[in-house]
Amino acid sequence: MAAVCTVYTTQSLNSSCSISTPTKSHLGFNQKQVVFYSTGKRSSKRSGGSLITCSAGDSQTVVIGLAADSGCGKSTFMRRLTSVFGGAAEPPKGGNPDSNTLISDMTTVICLDDYHSLDRNGRKEKGVTALDPRANDFDLMYEQVKAIKSGVAVEKPIYNHVTGLLDPPELIKPPKILVIEGLHPMFDERVRDLLDFSIYLDISNEVKFAWKIQRDMAERGHSLESIKASIEARKPDFDAYIDPQKQYADAVIEVLPTQLIPDDNEGKAQPSHGFHAEGSSLALTLASNSPTALTVTSAMRLDELIYVESHLSNLSTKFYGEVTQQMLKHADFPGSNNGTGLFQTIVGLKIRDLYEQIIASKAATPLEATKA
Amino acid sequence: MATLSSLNLVTPRAVASVPDSTKAGPVKVSCLNQPWKRVSQLGSRRMQVLRPVRAAPDRISEKVEKSIKEAEEACSGDPASSECVAAWDEVEELSAAASHARDRQKANSDPLENYCKENPETDECRTYDN
Repeated sequence: MAAVCTVYTTQSLNSSCSISTPTKSHLGFNQKQVVFYSTGKRSSKRSGGSLITCSAGDSQTVVIGLAADSGCGKSTFMRRLTSVFGGAAEPPKGGNPDSNTLISDMTTVICLDDYHSLDRNGRKEKGVTALDPRANDFDLMYEQVKAIKSGVAVEKPIYNHVTGLLDPPELIKPPKILVIEGLHPMFDERVRDLLDFSIYLDISNEVKFAWKIQRDMAERGHSLESIKASIEARKPDFDAYIDPQKQYADAVIEVLPTQLIPDDNEGKAQPSHGFHAEGSSLALTLASNSPTALTVTSAMRLDELIYVESHLSNLSTKFYGEVTQQMLKHADFPGSNNGTGLFQTIVGLKIRDLYEQIIASKAATPLEATKA
Repeated sequence: MATLSSLNLVTPRAVASVPDSTKAGPVKVSCLNQPWKRVSQLGSRRMQVLRPVRAAPDRISEKVEKSIKEAEEACSGDPASSECVAAWDEVEELSAAASHARDRQKANSDPLENYCKENPETDECRTYDN
């Protein structure tokens, strides 16, 4: 019980976050030529397989995977990411009001829960969770993501989170950027190989608990016990099927609990000079090849963010102040003042950068082909 | 005939229950006899047509509450049983859905914003650069 109380008092929990690029640390967070090189390598790997995939040429969709457990900020991240590409992301017009899809000019975000093979009743009968691969249809997921990637529209099922049933399918047309978000974007090797970039939101158990308290305590029927019981019951499946995907991610956003000033129980804002010091160390690590690119260990104030931004380099912004602008635009989103929002925004900018480089390299490829 | 077709729009079910409405003869449309009902019918109908209704957060909240009770029951025997784990997973799924529904409600709380999303070309939604 003591443990529960301790965590409960950490509502003003300061999070320390770090982005790390575990295995492919050269992939998105370093100098441009490195990124360019790695995407080039990837596409040559793809075409070197068997046939040269000249499908639909330059209209090919860039596919991004976002993996995280439920309640770990996927939706917020998606809203920040689509905002970086401009335009508001909306559910499909005139479609199923319970659709999980978000569409904007550039991006379409689909939720992988739509590929549940067992609906809520089916899972209950068989005693499996949604985290369990047996509750998901990876064959269909692969077929459809592959089809969209090669420019073919698909009729994707809709998993209705309210009723727990599978609704009639909706038409998904190939967008410029397809984001697949959910529990298992990197679980199946075939799906994984279709991803141009992948992100894993690595939320430690303590932080997960704190976030779910914030999310659920106001909900009737919930208590600290129910929130804890739910996390603990799901943990074995989470550890078995979700967490291992981290190793395949191009970027991992890790959120760990910290108590920066142990005596500061009021959760006062941190002194700004300390903040700036963090900022300059950020710039250093971002430019180096060290796996840990960026660490924020501080509560953040949005009105001081522009100073942080001025100390960061290699952000892939289009103009000075773009990070701050994006953050202020969504100041009401969760994570705006604890570093996670900043990280999500920066990863969003990196993905935009990557997208533009993929497009540019595709435009360059036909020229090389004619030369050869 | 023009009046008839506009009535068809308002009460499609009433018309559908008439065996053959194209034949001349008395058309039994309920709202002709009860014109005072028409206004309210039109009103409620129109709300539905304009905006497909997502599940209200209240409805999901009830489900969350129910699922927690069920999970506690399922776990009373063996807390490590697969029924227990699946039941808590359902709680998580519904809690997340309830939270998303609340967020959406917050985001859609401005009636003018909502109207302009669907009707950006109308006068009241026009924006000017200068």
